[in-house]
Amino acid sequence: MDGKVSAIVGNNGSPGKKVQAKSHDKALFYALLLPAFLLVTLFIIWPVVNTVFYSFYDWNGFGPLKNFVGLKNLRTLFRDPLFWNALRNNGIVILFSVCVQLPIAFLLALLVSKSSSRPTIFFRTVFFLPYILSEIITGVIWRFIYHPQFGLLQQIFAKFAPDYSYTGFLADPKTVFVSILFVIFWKYFGFHMILYVAGLQGIPPEYHEAALIDGANPVQAFIYVTLPFMKNAIQMSLFFCIIGSLQVFDVIWSMGQGGPVHAAETAVVYLYKFGIKSSKMGFGSMVAIVIFVICLLFNVLYQRVINREEK
Amino acid sequence: MNMRKGIVGIVAILMVVSLMVSCSGKTKSENSKVTVNFWHLDSNDLHYPEWEKIAAKFMETHPNVDIKITVLENEAYKSKLATVMQSGNPPDIFRSWGGGVMNSYAESGLLKDITNEYKNKWDSKIGEGAVGVYSYKGKIYGLPYTMGGVGIWYNKELLAKVGYNTPPETWNDFLDCVKKLKAAGITPIALGEGDKWPGHFWWVYLAVRLGGKEAFDKATIGNGSFNDEPFVKAGELLQELIALKPFQEGFLAATYGGDQAALMGNGKAAMELMGQWAPAVEIGSSADKKGIGDKLGFMSFPAVEGGKGKLTDLMGGGDGLVIGKNAPKEAVEFLKYITSVENEKFLTTGPLGIVPTAIGAETALTDPNLVAINKAVSQAAYFQLYYDQYLPPATGEVVKDATQGLFAGTMGPKEVAAAVAASYQAEKK
Amino acid sequence: MTQIKTSRRRIPSLAEWTKFAILILFALVILVPIYLAVIGGFKTIGQLNADPVGFPKPFMAENYANIFLKSRFFAYFLNSSIIMVATVAVDVTVSAMAGFALSRFTVKTKNVIYQYFLLGLLFPMTLAILPLYIQLRAVGLLDTFIGVILPQTAFLLPFHIMIFRGFIKEIPTELEDAVKIDGCGKMGFFAHVVVPLSRPAIATVSVLAMVASWNNFFLPLIVLDDKDKFTLPMGSMDFVGQYLADWNVILAFFVVSMIPAIAFYLYAQRHIVSGLAAGAVKG
Repeated sequence: MDGKVSAIVGNNGSPGKKVQAKSHDKALFYALLLPAFLLVTLFIIWPVVNTVFYSFYDWNGFGPLKNFVGLKNLRTLFRDPLFWNALRNNGIVILFSVCVQLPIAFLLALLVSKSSSRPTIFFRTVFFLPYILSEIITGVIWRFIYHPQFGLLQQIFAKFAPDYSYTGFLADPKTVFVSILFVIFWKYFGFHMILYVAGLQGIPPEYHEAALIDGANPVQAFIYVTLPFMKNAIQMSLFFCIIGSLQVFDVIWSMGQGGPVHAAETAVVYLYKFGIKSSKMGFGSMVAIVIFVICLLFNVLYQRVINREEK
Repeated sequence: MNMRKGIVGIVAILMVVSLMVSCSGKTKSENSKVTVNFWHLDSNDLHYPEWEKIAAKFMETHPNVDIKITVLENEAYKSKLATVMQSGNPPDIFRSWGGGVMNSYAESGLLKDITNEYKNKWDSKIGEGAVGVYSYKGKIYGLPYTMGGVGIWYNKELLAKVGYNTPPETWNDFLDCVKKLKAAGITPIALGEGDKWPGHFWWVYLAVRLGGKEAFDKATIGNGSFNDEPFVKAGELLQELIALKPFQEGFLAATYGGDQAALMGNGKAAMELMGQWAPAVEIGSSADKKGIGDKLGFMSFPAVEGGKGKLTDLMGGGDGLVIGKNAPKEAVEFLKYITSVENEKFLTTGPLGIVPTAIGAETALTDPNLVAINKAVSQAAYFQLYYDQYLPPATGEVVKDATQGLFAGTMGPKEVAAAVAASYQAEKK
Repeated sequence: MTQIKTSRRRIPSLAEWTKFAILILFALVILVPIYLAVIGGFKTIGQLNADPVGFPKPFMAENYANIFLKSRFFAYFLNSSIIMVATVAVDVTVSAMAGFALSRFTVKTKNVIYQYFLLGLLFPMTLAILPLYIQLRAVGLLDTFIGVILPQTAFLLPFHIMIFRGFIKEIPTELEDAVKIDGCGKMGFFAHVVVPLSRPAIATVSVLAMVASWNNFFLPLIVLDDKDKFTLPMGSMDFVGQYLADWNVILAFFVVSMIPAIAFYLYAQRHIVSGLAAGAVKG
């Protein structure tokens, strides 16, 4: 796009100057990117490369790297039912987020995107608020609410359903995961909602009105006008939702460390428990690489799909 | 325009560099003082000043030494220490529970061998069993300044209410007591199983009572394994207890400090199985900050009928300090200073309320419960460090996870034993 | 898209009441827990245990006062603030430059480089912690603020570059041509046109960076040794470890820790929608 412009505008006409400008531009391009490139390479990519190395060792992490075992960590990992349990839980988080969290975020976005009135801004601000809170605080607040002896839920049950003995949702392996899913929803739906609001505000109103004039009912207007314009927002939201679901850790860890009995354990929680806390850095590194590969595969798939659509 | 951006860039780089230099400059001292990095986890407002006082006293008599203290709360301490050890750069003197975790540090050459100094140049003497916890393959790498035991802490008043004026001494009596408490509407046992380690105490003690030192040695260094009978039966007996539903609501997610100790400290539960720090934590967690005072009693874990273990066998642990491989000799001096009779008395009578290890310091103990524990430590022929510290870290995690499975009803006694056996098999070197 | 405000006085329809009800419901779901945390801090521990929902009586302002007076709150606050300001400054500058480069230049390697940055999104900090630690130690950045600021920024760059790139792409080329006629090069365009126009993106990235830095617990924990350098989240965990069952004090501490992040967010929130709109959504 820029090349075309400079061809039209001409850079004072002389071709020599254009070439000079172009190479000057190129140097500038790399100079502008250098700091970001350095930071990302030094602090993200380089650790990832190291992690790949560690994964081939049965190393407790102390002292020098030793005990090369090839792919043994991978075999142990795939044979561990708890790993598949963790992956399954990740799947549940993805399913829940995509099927429940995102639609609700979309619905709320529809409700708060239309005007800039004070109430609307108020709601928008409130909905994004949990995203701002730290995971630790979120964990503390919700552990407090779920507490079996003096939490909010215990009080509510005592008042409205005194026959039901509330033993704490976080203490029962059957209910702990759902309880944490709710907190995940609470914390992150505002982020997706804001993405959708941004998308909705980018739709020119004429299209919508035109459709209605042509006789479409609101539902059809939604499907044929609103949704296509929302494609980008939805794609972005899905991307962050799925990557986030694959990497979810902090909220789960601060609400019981994935327990009791691994009921709420996800891949990164599994990694932290059986890799880092158990002093098995080699094994932990292998788990990290597997998670990274899964995210990578998803990313490749995602890029393919949106590139195909763009054609 | 370009110039301006360039100047801004250069200024920014200069700022960054100067910050770097000034920050790293702070950690390298220009004078000839010897720095000793001391890490501990007594982050409580009442507790960390005690260590600062000891450090200050030491620095008075050793003016060439600068003790730098890093203090973090328990979980943060473990996380950070793990990372630091993994990078191969240990602190000079730092808190450790000994056992398998410490052994893995020693195995990797990260600790300093102080056997010679302790045997020949030390000011105080510490019980052999206690020192053993901080030795590996015959070499001593640190010393405990407090060693205690785990036992049943009970609310005398609540037990008396159901007819137990003296605490139950056998396992069957114990179960009976639990049943009576439950019938009277009193929570028999407080348990913070969300943290997992409080629960594993029950399993370990039953194994200790059933099989004694013999069974443990057989499983770890002999030709047996954790699949042996005592460990399976321990799970079975524990299941009997769990079936009585003796714990507070929601115990599977409860924490030790916030829930278990608070219940005891507020007089809302009758018993807990905990170590020598229990009274102090109960007081700290109680609503009135007073705990239940002299209503609190201590007794050894009940005897199990038909068990081969002795009643004097004690499960527990203490707190100690180990020396990092790069530590200056002043760090060892500091350890000697801390474990002297005088300073252990100082720690005993202060808010930390330790059960001291230096022989002679126990005269400073006033709490009859702690005196009892101290005596038990010195009398124990078999002293078993808590499994989650004694066994290799990965196995420790498995023990905690598996026993939690027992409490949750998702794992049976044989499975628990098998899981521990398998992990130990894989980890032992 | 400008909305023509019509203020008509009429009775709201059933549909509008339903909308409002839904919005109120969700707002409550969010605000009630936060409200509980806030008032919890004003109660005695006895009252908190007995009655978590009701209004505090007595009203223990001391809990909050003690945090400011007795604990090391201000020290933690200062440290967190220094790290945060530096992180935001570096992050915004670096990602804006990179976003500009990736959107307004034609260099063949542009897309490859962009994908390289996006790789950073796939690897969370928790996994990288040990190699990171070893690295920081090797360059002598342990126990320094820089050792926290730089890696923290690095992990934020992928998303923030994405936002700036998308946003700056939208700036019409006519504007670039206009300043070119005046004799400005690319950097002139950047300084005089892009930066002023990017206020929404800058606001968005600033808020996101600020929140991420303020809430970051793990990295400072691993990097910082000196208690005087601890950040607020580290102080919170210390606090929790100390006050085990004193939920009221713990809640008070956390609530106070939240205030700066929330304040900044409220101040900058009106830009977030437009920032994300152009940057992330149209991108």
